[in-house]
Amino acid sequence: MSGFRAIFQRELTGLFLTPLAWVLLVAAICLNGFMVVAALMGSGGDVDGAFNYMLGTSGAYWMLMISLPPLLTMRTISEESKGGQLEFLLTAPVTDGAVILGKHLAVVVFLSVLWAVVPIYGLTLELLGVSPDWGQMALGYLGAVLVSALFSALGMVASALSSTPLLAAFLGFIFNIALLVLPMGAGSLGGTVGRALNALAGKLDVLTHLQLSFMRGALDSADVIFFLAWTGLFLFAATRIVEGRRMWS
Amino acid sequence: MIDVQNVTRRFGSLTAVDDLTFEVEKGEVVGFLGLNGAGKSTTMRMMTGYLPPTSGSLRIGGFDVLTDSLEVRRRIGYLAEGVPLYREHRVSEMLAFQGRLFGMKRADIRRRTGEVLDRVGLSDRSRSLVGKLSKGMRQRVGIAVALLHEPDVLILDEPTSGLDPLQRVGVRRLVAELAEEHTVMISSHILPEIEAVCGRLILLHKGAKVADGTKHELLKKLGGSHLKLVVAASSTDGLRLKRALAGVLCKDELAQEGAIFVRERGDALEATLRVEQNPAEAVGLLAAARGWILRELSWHEPSLEQLFGRLATGATEEEAALSKHDGGDSPEGVAYADTAELKPAGPEPGSTGSDSPQQGAEA
Repeated sequence: MSGFRAIFQRELTGLFLTPLAWVLLVAAICLNGFMVVAALMGSGGDVDGAFNYMLGTSGAYWMLMISLPPLLTMRTISEESKGGQLEFLLTAPVTDGAVILGKHLAVVVFLSVLWAVVPIYGLTLELLGVSPDWGQMALGYLGAVLVSALFSALGMVASALSSTPLLAAFLGFIFNIALLVLPMGAGSLGGTVGRALNALAGKLDVLTHLQLSFMRGALDSADVIFFLAWTGLFLFAATRIVEGRRMWS
Repeated sequence: MIDVQNVTRRFGSLTAVDDLTFEVEKGEVVGFLGLNGAGKSTTMRMMTGYLPPTSGSLRIGGFDVLTDSLEVRRRIGYLAEGVPLYREHRVSEMLAFQGRLFGMKRADIRRRTGEVLDRVGLSDRSRSLVGKLSKGMRQRVGIAVALLHEPDVLILDEPTSGLDPLQRVGVRRLVAELAEEHTVMISSHILPEIEAVCGRLILLHKGAKVADGTKHELLKKLGGSHLKLVVAASSTDGLRLKRALAGVLCKDELAQEGAIFVRERGDALEATLRVEQNPAEAVGLLAAARGWILRELSWHEPSLEQLFGRLATGATEEEAALSKHDGGDSPEGVAYADTAELKPAGPEPGSTGSDSPQQGAEA
């Protein structure tokens, strides 16, 4: 357990010590700031609608969701495997799972900080005299964190499969898009294969799970579990791939 | 302390380590020698539990590397090849991270950080970024990190690679100090490096152990030591020289093929006695008694480099011992190194006198 904490802390400080993380953070804050203003002006001052848009329906939200986690997870395994740091970690008295989990949690915490900017804009409005729906905001934020966790876990799988960070980022990006698009496309397919694919897609439908629960302001524990379960599954896969790398590489 | 039994590791069709067995007692300092790709790193990685063996078993401190992996890892200080450290951290942060990984208490980490940095001579660099240090310093930080949790067994994979000669001496001295209180395994393909530090050497070649013992034992096993005698041709002839020298050797030594070579080199006769023990005194006395005009009497032990060269090229014993000879210790630098010219003396001195033009030019 102390090993897990040590890895989590080091990864988090490591993230904040790299320029890339700061660049992503600033870029995301700027984009979100612009989007809040645009949404408020576009809706004629519908504050709740604007924040709902910010935390779930906007294209910018999904763009960031698809692209940021792979950029943060790309180095975690592929680069450290090449540079030998992974060997250093895996020869310390820490289980493989703790290494993967520690790294993943650090990325998720970083993304949580990144998304916290949206409630901060809400706070700004509150100070200006317009109160947003804070319950809705909190759920939207929780949803953003859970989606980040899921996509980061997928990014870890990509990183474990790749030999270079660039490849890992690209692969993670593709995985994330596939996860989002699969449920949309599967419905249009017919036949046995189509139905099977559709059934699988139904179990993987991130968009619906997010919109049904977190964006309506009604929290359903099943939806929380949906995200946690898939995150756990992908992390497990990443752990097994790392083990496999040692077996065969 | 370390018990490796019949360990084999394959990567696909490639066998990196082939049925390797050895044991290391507590407090021993063992050097792993081998060319690149001989299986040194693979063996060390298996000892740390990073790579599972394809077959065989490894135990460290009585714990099985596969089934009690975490217990084993707690007892090992491992410095991997290339010193993988997080370059964006300061030296003290890197050490603190290692301490937390090993579940050490905060106070212990602080105390040990001071101790190990002192040990590797980097007390004034604890605030430096690891990435900004020179390679030699980084290597020492790596050793400090491996030492932090006071491991029973220290495994250092190529700790001196890529260092300048001065830094090498520094690391070597450090390893020699560590040897006093830890069981140490070091790998290297640089022989003088390891020769100087390790009491025991294990020679790996193509994944298999080819020799195991002290430097002296290795030399003995792999042979190649010889006494070189050069006398003026005017004072004796080849046949007499050979017969007289035969009296110095014991029966067993004589029984070996080619125990005595005599050949003519210009106006001198050169004899080579291939024996394990240096018979220089006896030969010197013999020379005095027979009135030979002595030009050179020298004892040659092949360096490990020469033994290695032989392993690598698959050359025969005598070829390697003679062809890899570094001319530095033979003052005249004669064409002694050329094996093709070494012929046993015939019954007549004249029969050995087929000097090549090159030889004649040098003589």
